[in-house]
Amino acid sequence: MQRRKFLSLTLGALALAVVPASVRAEDYRKTKPTVWSAHTVEDGIKNLYGTTSTINKGVKLTAPKIAANGGAIPVDFSTKIAAKSIAVFQDANPESAVCVYSVNEYSINEYSIKIKMAKSGSITVVVQGQDGKLYSAKQSLEVALGGCEG
Amino acid sequence: MAAIKVKAKLKKGIVKVKAMAKHEMTTYNMAKKKTGDRENANFITHLSGTINGKTVFDMSTSQFLSKNPIFKFKFKGEEFKKGDKLLMTFVDRKGKTGKGKGKIK
Repeated sequence: MQRRKFLSLTLGALALAVVPASVRAEDYRKTKPTVWSAHTVEDGIKNLYGTTSTINKGVKLTAPKIAANGGAIPVDFSTKIAAKSIAVFQDANPESAVCVYSVNEYSINEYSIKIKMAKSGSITVVVQGQDGKLYSAKQSLEVALGGCEG
Repeated sequence: MAAIKVKAKLKKGIVKVKAMAKHEMTTYNMAKKKTGDRENANFITHLSGTINGKTVFDMSTSQFLSKNPIFKFKFKGEEFKKGDKLLMTFVDRKGKTGKGKGKIK
């Protein structure tokens, strides 16, 4: 009996010791699973950061006004704000979240990605500052040919 | 073949990176149309970049990145030198990983 107890205790301790090491960088798909199934931008932001009040400044977002191909729309964004994380949303697809960057000490917050949009809509970039506030930028664009239906 | 092509350039202490991941990025709608089951959707869910074991880039992604998505980003490069290798890894929805590395030029 004693030995069995000892074994289970050791195993438990080992399992506890292993977990923290593997979650150094935050994987938002695991920590915030509801973000990825949210259908509106507001819900997405709320599920990710717990609030929807954002300050509309400090974020630069560049996307074409009319995208010929909805399958690959170039989106550039940058911010000078000391950020903790940056999230990109759009409102043309069934779900709203596109991606979430976790910012680290090496990051220079200037990114560009290509995204898919099924129809015309708008792109929202939300920056979570280290001061805890949310900063955002929004741009609407027209999509000539949807890119989500394959 | 490497699943991610990585190009990195060091200039004035800043490393500029351009990376292209080879992936179909099937959305739920596409999977449903093609195979009849939305659970067949497969896309990159997490992408990270490390140099000498230090994470310089980390993102969680959804199905709405384009097919064979391109990522451009920058990071502070004072600590790193030309010739260091940037290793990028992605994980997709089915748990498959893809890797690619590029030397900083």
